[in-house]
Amino acid sequence: MHQLCDMEPRVMDDDMLKLAVGEQGPRDEAGQLAKQEGILFKDVLSLQLDFQNILRIDNLWQFENLRKLQLDNNTIEKIEGLEKLTRLVWLDLSFNNIETIEGLDTLVNLEDLSLFNNRIAKIDSLDALVKLQVLSLGNNRIGNLMNIIYLRRFKDLRTLSLAGNPIAAAEDYRMFICAYLPDLVYLDFRRIDDHTKELAEVKHQYSTDELKHQENLMQARLEDEQARREELEEHKAAFVENLNGSFLFDSMYAEDVEGSKLASLPGVAELMETYKDKFVIICLNIFEYGLKQQEKRKAELDTFNERVQEAVQENQAQGRHRTAEFEEKHLLSLSTIRGESELTDIETKIADQREDIAELSNALMTLEMQLVEQLEETINMFERNIVDLVELFIENVQSLMAQCRDLENHHHEKLLEIAINILEKIVKGELDEDLPDDVRALFVDKDTIVNAVGASHDMHLLKIDNREDELVTRVNSWCTHLVDKIHKDEMTRNRRRVKEIIQYGDHVQGELDSLECGDILD
Amino acid sequence: IPALDSQRHTRMEVLKEKVEEEEAAEREDAAERAERGEKMMRLMEVRKEETTMTQEMLRDLERKLSEIEVSIPEKPSTFTKDTIDISKLPLSYKSNTPKEEHLLRVADNFSRQYSLLCPDRVPLFLHPLNECEVPKFVSTTIRPTLMPYPELYNWDTCAQFVSDFLAMLPLPDPLKPPSYLYSSTTVLKHQKGNCFDFSTLLCSMLIGAGYDAYCVNGYGSQDLCHMDLTREVCPLTVKPKETVQEEEKAPPKKYAIKPPRDLSSRFEQEQEMKRQEEIKAAEEKRRRQEEERLMEVDSAKTDPLHGLRVHSWVLVLSGKREVPESFFIDPFTARSYSTQDDNFLGIESLWNHKNYWINMQDCWNCCKDLIFDLGDPVMWEYLLLGIDKPLLSPAEEEDNGANDDDDVENLGKEDEDKSFDMPNSWVEQIEISPEVFETRCPNGKKVIQYKKAKLEKWAPYLNNNGLVCRLTTYEDLECKGAALAVGSQGAEAPDMLWDLGHVTVSWCTKTLEIKEWYQNREDMLELKHINKTTGLNIDYFKPGHPQALRVHSYTSMQPEMDRVMEFYEKARVDGLIKREETPKTMTEYYQGRPDFLSYRHINFGPRVKKLVLNSAESNPRPVVKIIERFFRNPAKPADEDVAERVFLILDERIQLRYHCREDHITASKREFLRRTEVDSKGNKIIMTPDMCISFEKLLYQYEAMMKLKNEEKLSRHQAWESELEVLEILKLREEEEEAHVLTTSIYDTKRNEKSKEYREAMMTPKSTQDPGQDAPPPGALAKLRPLLHKNGIYAPTSTLGSPEERVMHEEHLRQVEAQLDYLAPFLAQLPPGEKLTRWQAVRLKDECLSDFKQRLINKANLIQARFEKETQELQKQQQWYQENQVTLTPEDEDLYLSYCSQAMFRIRILEQRLNRHKELAPLKYLALEEKLYKDPRLVELLKVFV
Repeated sequence: MHQLCDMEPRVMDDDMLKLAVGEQGPRDEAGQLAKQEGILFKDVLSLQLDFQNILRIDNLWQFENLRKLQLDNNTIEKIEGLEKLTRLVWLDLSFNNIETIEGLDTLVNLEDLSLFNNRIAKIDSLDALVKLQVLSLGNNRIGNLMNIIYLRRFKDLRTLSLAGNPIAAAEDYRMFICAYLPDLVYLDFRRIDDHTKELAEVKHQYSTDELKHQENLMQARLEDEQARREELEEHKAAFVENLNGSFLFDSMYAEDVEGSKLASLPGVAELMETYKDKFVIICLNIFEYGLKQQEKRKAELDTFNERVQEAVQENQAQGRHRTAEFEEKHLLSLSTIRGESELTDIETKIADQREDIAELSNALMTLEMQLVEQLEETINMFERNIVDLVELFIENVQSLMAQCRDLENHHHEKLLEIAINILEKIVKGELDEDLPDDVRALFVDKDTIVNAVGASHDMHLLKIDNREDELVTRVNSWCTHLVDKIHKDEMTRNRRRVKEIIQYGDHVQGELDSLECGDILD
Repeated sequence: IPALDSQRHTRMEVLKEKVEEEEAAEREDAAERAERGEKMMRLMEVRKEETTMTQEMLRDLERKLSEIEVSIPEKPSTFTKDTIDISKLPLSYKSNTPKEEHLLRVADNFSRQYSLLCPDRVPLFLHPLNECEVPKFVSTTIRPTLMPYPELYNWDTCAQFVSDFLAMLPLPDPLKPPSYLYSSTTVLKHQKGNCFDFSTLLCSMLIGAGYDAYCVNGYGSQDLCHMDLTREVCPLTVKPKETVQEEEKAPPKKYAIKPPRDLSSRFEQEQEMKRQEEIKAAEEKRRRQEEERLMEVDSAKTDPLHGLRVHSWVLVLSGKREVPESFFIDPFTARSYSTQDDNFLGIESLWNHKNYWINMQDCWNCCKDLIFDLGDPVMWEYLLLGIDKPLLSPAEEEDNGANDDDDVENLGKEDEDKSFDMPNSWVEQIEISPEVFETRCPNGKKVIQYKKAKLEKWAPYLNNNGLVCRLTTYEDLECKGAALAVGSQGAEAPDMLWDLGHVTVSWCTKTLEIKEWYQNREDMLELKHINKTTGLNIDYFKPGHPQALRVHSYTSMQPEMDRVMEFYEKARVDGLIKREETPKTMTEYYQGRPDFLSYRHINFGPRVKKLVLNSAESNPRPVVKIIERFFRNPAKPADEDVAERVFLILDERIQLRYHCREDHITASKREFLRRTEVDSKGNKIIMTPDMCISFEKLLYQYEAMMKLKNEEKLSRHQAWESELEVLEILKLREEEEEAHVLTTSIYDTKRNEKSKEYREAMMTPKSTQDPGQDAPPPGALAKLRPLLHKNGIYAPTSTLGSPEERVMHEEHLRQVEAQLDYLAPFLAQLPPGEKLTRWQAVRLKDECLSDFKQRLINKANLIQARFEKETQELQKQQQWYQENQVTLTPEDEDLYLSYCSQAMFRIRILEQRLNRHKELAPLKYLALEEKLYKDPRLVELLKVFV
């Protein structure tokens, strides 16, 4: 099996790679050209490194655009060093000494993977290979038939070979695979006929059905989660995430030790109930308002983008028209100049052409300047509007938050009242119910209880303030970012256009100049 | 004041008239009651007594047949009574029912009073004579009929049909209404009529279709009366007005950029505008002058009889069938006019199938001031009380909408309620057979002369090249007018116009363009447009041409000339939609190709003269330049996606232009010099690095160039193939033009042989629906049977049992009959291949006729002989029975009785057949004679003979 074992293992170094690339590169005239210029590794699309007695995969990071890699018939023991080859479609690692599948997590484009004749015992770590179509795992050491179920996740898998594995000896091997991988077309290089498929399906119906059910459930769960995440994202974009329920309220009490202790006091429960209800209603108000405002901002942004896009498109169309016109004329005059024999005529023509070029550059620049002015005005208008919108939003949210604070204050007063009443009762020894010890500990004296209630209150206010601050800062930063980005984009657009115009002018000028030179030479 | 006076006067008159009318009616009523006791009904002629079969009768028959004179039917220039065969008309045509008589009396009375009250007005057109010389009231001549063709459900198509179907005859006296008004059935049969016939037929059809239509007796302009459209612009030449699509300017949206400041001088603009306006005004003035001049030329001939020419047309009142406004239809031309039109100079009276109204309004201003409120007795004097047009009361208007739908059903009901209503029409049901409907125009051809244009129409399948319509447009108006007497050779001239018994022949001198419409052509040719001035021909095709051709415009069918071929999109595999050719170039436009090619332009150089001996080898012109353009391929980045590539084959140069990147205004370009084995350094290729910013290795350039070289080869090959294809298409077109095969739909069982056979095999389901032999079967059979009767082929005693079998048999016989050549045996006697002389033709005809006569007599003899034999046999049997009556067993007696009944049956049948033969023989004889006259082999000779 390993005829080359006795040879000294070789290292994948630069020389070896260069040699391989040179040998496999273009032939004939193209080869000459290639030799003259040298070939960059990143331009190589296909590389063959078989029978090289390679022990370790290395030095392949430069082959960024490699589509096909053959490393068969070597002595490789571990799959490694392939992380950078993300474009890889075809990977051949057959006839090596690989024991586990690994190191393939970045090869998302891989369609054909051959691990024939290795020492693999378990099919695993192939999750990233979503496009996998052909998988060759023959002559390995796979012993567990249930391992096949792992391959169900590859929706495009059509060809599979597992012959020469311990599982292939199992009586049910073919049927089992056909039943569990119904989309498979070729197994062990043989087409699966419809009859076998039907038989297999009937035979393993119970287990596959169960499996399918589970998979469906899992799928549904995943989708749910996805939807939830998306929703949260949306809310976050509106800056009002987690305000559509009692989340804020709950968080106020989450770290509030005194609060929860006090909640067990008689009469506080009802108070809490009404407080919570009112609080949640305000939160919901904020939430809805936030979503609405988000819509508004989005619509504003969309219309703005649309208009700007339109304006830019129109301007571009004009520019293109101008250049196309010019080009036609330019080509014509170039050819006439070429055909002209009189030197003086040539000179006047060239001078004319030069003027034309200058005129074109001017016209294009004027267009661009016009657009810049127009856009600047529009952008400023948009900026004003969006800032107004954000300010309005903040104002309203703040007023709503103030309502929350009022509620909290009110609650605090009530709670204090109750607490002092209880304290008085305790002092007078009239308290009917038993209080837990830790709660009773609060009622040592008036200061303690007032402090405790106050601490809880402060904690709540802090939470509310924090939420408000978070919202306001995020909205503001979003706004400034947006405006900055728009300005920056516009600037880059302008720079690019100016550069393009200048380059074009230079190029045309250059063409003319070279013509001149040529003429003079002639 | 005078106006008021006159008004009052009229009103008084009307009142008086009414009173008198009522009195008259009462008197008449009394008279009628007295009359009622007597026998009212005129008994129809009782059937002739049973005639016995004698030799005498046979002789009589023979005599009758020989009496029939052979005469050439002269071409009837007018629609005279002689040409109408009255004998076959139903009884209602030949006599009046008492109700009709009564009506006529009422009408006469009315007419008397009218002439008394309005002595200065012309007598009313109330009851002209019909084809049987029986006076019939005009309203009863209208026979509301809904035609079974969906095409005839709307007024415009109805009018078009009437105008196409009937040939126009002028009124005998252009200043008077005609004295005869024939039934629509007769008019339809003969396919010609005057304006009154036209409008009666059209009115019948329109009322049947639910319109509120009226026949109008009035005065029209000369053009109108003579169906002279030479002053009208042909509707087909009028270009449809381009619907000006006003682009809705979107309201300036938020963030829309402000337009750049306008820096041009307002003053200069204004000056420019003024200048433009001046030029325009001058032009306008010139145009108007020109128009005026033309108008003067046009109206130079004023009509001395203006306002006196009687015309009849149709008025359609608003209300029913969602007609928004009342309008006139001229039945000659099928055009609709507003009631304000200048051509209609006055209305005398109008009528529909229910009543008759006289116009009491002044027509000094043509029909412009007329108010068509027929319920107003001051404006419209009605003839019959009670069934008048109801006054437009608000209540009536309210449920107008509801009434619309069931007007047709209501027609009958309304009639029942009234005390005295218009009798039912005496005219038989108007029937138009599908064949005739398809043929439309008399002989399937019609010519209309318009202003600077001539329109010719043919029935489909009439021309064997499928031509159905031709419009010839002329450049000039100037017609060489010449008045020629009727009957002169001028009648053959194509541009013939009626003019008061004279023919104005006009030859329009210069043809501008000809448009020809085709139908049912196998090559799907639809329209051929020939421009005579530029020599440009444009052929339009319907989808389905073997080469997917849509439009082909050319000046000559020679290859390598100016031509444009357009193809149906998606019908071709290569996505070609248009190919333009000039002598030196070929431009092709593509759509929807997988390689995104959109345009290919090929420049050809002059043909190199080859000194090759075998001239059969094609010598394609050398390709000088190929330009190919591509659509944007969204899969590639813009600056790698070629937008245009130019192969300069002589310069060995390839130019590439790439698509513009989304945010760029300039596109990348690249040029290759394809000089093979030139460079001294042994380097085979020279690259001029492209203009663009991107730097590329020589290797890739080399590869790109190799690829381009290949592509160039392919493109050249493609160009060569395109040339071949053009040749092929041209050849195909020529073949098609020569063959001009017509297609027939598989549903057209009359023409399509295959489906005819199929239908014959499948006839059963259709005929099983027939209720029986007695009831007239629908569709073709109804028309078929009388025809068979006439030809004596249809035998009612046929042994064929079931009706379906019989139908098949009939159809078969009909086919056989159609193929029969009467002249063949006689022609065979003559030396073949020679042209007939006049004398021979006459003899041939006589021989044929006499032979037929003999056959008829023989047949009669045969029947007679059989009859006699049967009678004798029966007599013998009877004798035998009487002799042996006593000794007979009951079985023998039964046998005898059954024999008797059978013999009687046979005798009766023979008798009937003999009678029928006697009846039909003269007709058959006449039919054959007519046929012989129309026979294409004899027609010329016989005509000359007379």
